[in-house]
Amino acid sequence: MSKIEPDARINLSKAIVIIIDASQHSLDVTAQILKGFGVATMHRFSTLDEANKYLRQRQADMILIDPSVDHGAGYDFVNELRHSGTQNAFVPVILVSGHVHPSDVARARNTGSNFVVTKPLAPTVLLQRVMWVAKDKRPFVEAGAYIGPDRRFKFEGPPIGSDGRRRDDLKTPLGDANEANLSIDELDALIKPQRVAL
Amino acid sequence: MTVVRSFYPEVHLKTLLNEPGGIKVADAIDRAYDSLEEVRDQCLAAIDDKIAAIAAFAPDASPLVRRDCYQLSNEIFAEAGALGAPELSAVAFNLCEVLSADQTRVSAKIIGVHVDAMRVLRLPGAAASPGLRRAVLDELRRLGAWIGGDA
Repeated sequence: MSKIEPDARINLSKAIVIIIDASQHSLDVTAQILKGFGVATMHRFSTLDEANKYLRQRQADMILIDPSVDHGAGYDFVNELRHSGTQNAFVPVILVSGHVHPSDVARARNTGSNFVVTKPLAPTVLLQRVMWVAKDKRPFVEAGAYIGPDRRFKFEGPPIGSDGRRRDDLKTPLGDANEANLSIDELDALIKPQRVAL
Repeated sequence: MTVVRSFYPEVHLKTLLNEPGGIKVADAIDRAYDSLEEVRDQCLAAIDDKIAAIAAFAPDASPLVRRDCYQLSNEIFAEAGALGAPELSAVAFNLCEVLSADQTRVSAKIIGVHVDAMRVLRLPGAAASPGLRRAVLDELRRLGAWIGGDA
């Protein structure tokens, strides 16, 4: 995760952000932080029903959701949103989770959200994640029941012992190096400045 | 073999974020902290209410009540931490850990110890004394281990 440049500029004044959290005061905390970031339009929901009603009719630019809302139904909510085929199906979603049951870690990964941010929220971290999500270059993938950003942040090839699942996965292992590594002198020689006659 | 479809949806947020105008990142972060101050008192008052609610629940160890205690302590963990009360947040987190672990070992005594620790941390004297706050956390860990082993 790259650091954010303090002198960089952001403009969130026209962004429409949806915040979903069962706790009124957690909604307040998140909304106040976003207000500081310059977000002018926020819609706050403490139940998924209310949020669904809004999202069926209106466009959102980003959703921040605590998945524990409605006794843990927030995970399914994101998954269903991704499968909904609506105008908001692929909107950036950040899961803002508090204490998480160990059994919910895999659920969080499989929702199709863009990122997970853990509470307590810190403005610096949240802004970093919002900027990262906005600039996320990962493709969305639809694979079986999963629709969401590619969960592989780094592409390191298919797992060892498998042929991979992508058309462009290499089918054969690259194998070991067939020559000795360069010595330090040889490396130095590659980058040594030399006078040239022009 | 699973068929994988890959695509790049348009992200409107990216376009908005880069529009002319806006504010510097450093200013945005400063404003966010200032903005949090506006709700600080009311959120801390709500935390006191939540601690009282957990204390009232504590003698009843039914699963439904424990679920409510967990929910409340999870809220305290999140809100206290965001409002610059890390020790209070840590105690609430610990209570979440206890309530989400082996349910048979959760007793009113364990919940009560956490409630007492949170109440002490909300006293005006604790706010002014980092040493006292650390001592409360250390004592909680010690007591938690003792009660846990004793339960």
